Amino acid sequence: MGLIQRIIEATGIATISISLSKNISQKVLPPRAVYTGLPLGHPLGFPGQTFRQKQVLRLLLIYLKNLNSPGTIAELDLTDSGDDSVACDICSLG
Amino acid sequence: MLFRKWVRHSTFIEFSDSPWTPFEKDISTCRLALVTTGGVHLALQKPFDMKDPAGDPTFREIPADARPADLKITHNYYDHADADKDVNIIFPIERVQELRQSSEIGDVNHRHFSFMGHIMKRHINTLMKESAPRVAAALKSDHVDIVILTPA
Repeated sequence: MGLIQRIIEATGIATISISLSKNISQKVLPPRAVYTGLPLGHPLGFPGQTFRQKQVLRLLLIYLKNLNSPGTIAELDLTDSGDDSVACDICSLG
Repeated sequence: MLFRKWVRHSTFIEFSDSPWTPFEKDISTCRLALVTTGGVHLALQKPFDMKDPAGDPTFREIPADARPADLKITHNYYDHADADKDVNIIFPIERVQELRQSSEIGDVNHRHFSFMGHIMKRHINTLMKESAPRVAAALKSDHVDIVILTPA
């Protein structure tokens, strides 16, 4: 996916992705990525967690605005709690 | 564990730098599109090819107003049982509309794009020289400001 992201970014569109593998991202170096610690098949969380899914998107938009160095992979851990307020606190950074 | 093993034993194209488009816009005025590699497609569209062990480098265009019930996932290389219940966990098509309704973003592009992420050696060139540039050009012609990419 990082290869596709690189090509879109190179056409002049700002991109950000969710990384499910730091190992792959460190090799492919997408322009901006956020590693959330969420499991494979669940980049935005779990079924029915609509608020949390939206919070992950908000988080990506905050990092899109704040990451200033090409190839940065921001590392987070959203796995500790299903508590929506956790993602909410992170989003308040923006 | 299987995934880690696959990562360890697979070869990835490596880069030492990244392309970069500075982002200085007001997000609430931006047009956003999604690109997923989760193998999502309209049920009416041709499914991704699961018979070729090197994967399928083609893409599918997904209308922004598609309903989850219109969508299907064809991708045998990850467990999409949960995504089958709620596609938004890999392709947040409804969530981005909600961000638009609450004016957190300016607009949702009229189309999103989907790939099947398991693309190996002999198809990498097609992906990099044909499919991905076509999607990038389409997004550019749509005047998209932000692309969020979600893997599976």
